[in-house]
Amino acid sequence: MSQYTIKFSKEGYICYTSHLDLLRLFKRAFKKAGILLSYSQGFNPHPKMGFAQPLSLGYSSISEYLEFETGQEYEPGFLLSRLKAQMPEGIHIASCEKSEGSKKSLAARSVAAEYVIGIPLKEMPEEDGKALCSQFLSQKEIRVLKRQKKTKAMKEVDIKEKIQDLNFTIAGENLLIWAKLDSGSHSNLSPELLIEAVKKLCPFMADRNEIGVMRTKLIFEK
Amino acid sequence: MEISKELDKLLKKVEKPARYIGCEINSVIKEPQPGMLRFGFAFPDTYEIGMSYMGLQLLYHVMNKEETIFCERVFAPAMDMEDCMRRENMELFTLETKTPVRNLDFLGFTLQYELSFTNILNMLDLGGIPLLAKERTEEEPIIIAGGPCAYNPEPLCDFIDVFLIGDGEELLPKAVKLRRKGQTKEEYLKELCKLSGVYVPAFYEPEYYEDGRIKEIRKTWEHAPDTIERALVRDLDAAEFPQDLIVPFIEVVHDRAVVETFRGCTRGCRFCQAGMIYRPVRERKPETIKRLAQAQLDSTGHEELSLLSLSTSDYSQFETLATELVGMCREQNVSLSLPSLRLDSFSFKVLEEIQGYKKSGLTFAPEAGSQRLRDVINKGITEEDIYSAVKQALELGWNHVKLYFMIGLPTETQQDLDGIAEIAKTIKAINYELKGRKGGRFNVTVSVSNFVPKAHTPFQWEAQDTEESFRKKHDYLTKQLSVKGITFNYHDTEISRLEAVFARGDRQVGKALARAFELGCKFDGWSEHFNGAMWKRAFEETGIDPAFYAQRKRSYDEILPWDRIDPFITKAFLMRENERALQEITTRDCRQGCAGCGMNRKAECMPEEDK
Ligand code: SF4
Repeated sequence: MSQYTIKFSKEGYICYTSHLDLLRLFKRAFKKAGILLSYSQGFNPHPKMGFAQPLSLGYSSISEYLEFETGQEYEPGFLLSRLKAQMPEGIHIASCEKSEGSKKSLAARSVAAEYVIGIPLKEMPEEDGKALCSQFLSQKEIRVLKRQKKTKAMKEVDIKEKIQDLNFTIAGENLLIWAKLDSGSHSNLSPELLIEAVKKLCPFMADRNEIGVMRTKLIFEK
Repeated sequence: MEISKELDKLLKKVEKPARYIGCEINSVIKEPQPGMLRFGFAFPDTYEIGMSYMGLQLLYHVMNKEETIFCERVFAPAMDMEDCMRRENMELFTLETKTPVRNLDFLGFTLQYELSFTNILNMLDLGGIPLLAKERTEEEPIIIAGGPCAYNPEPLCDFIDVFLIGDGEELLPKAVKLRRKGQTKEEYLKELCKLSGVYVPAFYEPEYYEDGRIKEIRKTWEHAPDTIERALVRDLDAAEFPQDLIVPFIEVVHDRAVVETFRGCTRGCRFCQAGMIYRPVRERKPETIKRLAQAQLDSTGHEELSLLSLSTSDYSQFETLATELVGMCREQNVSLSLPSLRLDSFSFKVLEEIQGYKKSGLTFAPEAGSQRLRDVINKGITEEDIYSAVKQALELGWNHVKLYFMIGLPTETQQDLDGIAEIAKTIKAINYELKGRKGGRFNVTVSVSNFVPKAHTPFQWEAQDTEESFRKKHDYLTKQLSVKGITFNYHDTEISRLEAVFARGDRQVGKALARAFELGCKFDGWSEHFNGAMWKRAFEETGIDPAFYAQRKRSYDEILPWDRIDPFITKAFLMRENERALQEITTRDCRQGCAGCGMNRKAECMPEEDK
């Protein structure tokens, strides 16, 4: 049994496919490439394969990871070239590495993610990016409404602690946000909530559907 | 407007945006060349439904095989997307290159069911294309339509430039390649209509009696053919079939590899249009089927394989084929799905091998509740067949039986309705008998559809039941079947009536169709979208009486709107079959002896040794 990790990007129209769509896509790609995955035991066996962190529908990313386990040992370079050939437009596999044994999964080790958020502005603000950013961070609490998973009710939460690093730049008629946010099973912050919070400060932002989000990095604990 | 730029914003707002992005594995992008013919294959329903339809994959494949043709796909956007598009003034576009459909050379609609007709108008409108053929200029694409509903094209004649009747895989590329730059549409259509299977409605004009019946269908251009003979692929084994299926990103209705084993059916059910218009039976060889199946699995990575035909077990070498496919699929961890099996001991053996089959339940389509009525419709299934299959199935551990019936069939009486309930109850009783008083977890589902008489069938002259009568029957059955362990469902009466209007409509009903579209009707086949009140208004405002089309019995000498379409089945045969129906005389499966439908004048029916 061998474990591998591939790193890939997801850009362009393919961003509009969901996390589950992508899992199906990879499952078929393995099948087409003739790579035999290990299957879980039990009544409904499924291939041992998973993403480090799900990516929201509509986001692009240059830093996605898929971990999988195969029944036999393969040369990582072989896996890379075989899988690359099966990818649709918009998905580019950059690397494939054999993972060292008995470590926790990437999903369990994921702690933070970096994003670039591009927000077209309807009006130019008076302050520059830096001033806006420190104004934003100077709030004692950064409260936004969040839908509760179980009850579906909206509840106000403070997200300040989950923002690890933040930077605003005004570029042309856009506000570019660079953000490093908690991202993992222990603590997690969706860029959506950050966007909501920034909107309170900058009401001159374009509508949500004109905002683009890209994940640029995933950070794992050792 | 550059669609690809604007599209991004819309995709962030709508449900399942991947419906609109294209880019799937095996979808085709060609660099547009001067002189390249651009064709939009339009499916007048949502992506999920259209992508599950084999005909789309087949025609996409044959069209793109042609170097001079670039075929792209177009689907009906869901309501939320349509709202966004209309608000932003975005025109309907192709999935592959996001080209506005208005800029194509052809837009071809597939006509799979009558209830998608308003969607066709809506798609033309969204594409910025005038609905009426006569209002379109040389600039707009040529609007083509084909598929089973083209066998009575009349309701759509105002909107479509040319219909292709019959098998499309050879005719469609041929028809498109005839198009030359600089040629007017009229010149093109005049040349095109020389091909068999091509119907140009503008070259014909019906005249009516005062009561609405057709007096005559005149030709407006003397060289137009008198009858339109359907296009026929004689050698299916040699015909094209796709190996590189497009693989949707999102889940669609059927996500699987699928090979058509044969076309046509010899059973001769008298209500069934498919059983008539796809004659004669033409098979693919087992080796071809296996080769295609393997090639599809290899090129898609699909985990399910299915076979396509009107009746899976009627394939002449079914047992051999099924056994081999079961082995092939097991080896590759692919699940095999065999729809509409005749449930004999062999089928059970196969089904036992196929994992997970029991979940979907055991399906029967007796169609009618008594042997008498089954003789009328020529459905060769007996209650004994059903009960013995149910017994076997129960012993093998199945716990769900699904039954399909039709109501409103010609000569139907109360006894026939009672028969439906009886069959369901008997099946329950069999379960008790085998499993004791408690019977375990066991369910019978009874689905009842409303009979819709179709063109080119022996029942094409018959009346559809009135809505009132359908409702009474639904109520009656609801009472009879409100028994624990039996689930009863039935089709919407108004929708079935609408289907009947278009199934046998003439050119007049096109007016009601256009009005209904203006009033906002679309997705009429989806009961949550169907708007009966608006349709009522559309019929009233255009002076069309739906009952005239749906509920009127025609006489044999009446000129029918589809009389110029020749499916190679003679009218004499259809009349004879209708008479035999009324006398409750069955006609045997024509593999056991020719029933004289007239098909053999045009093609070889299955050679003797294959029967
Ligand atoms: S001509 Fe005879 S054998 Fe051929 S399809 Fe018709 S009834 Fe069947």
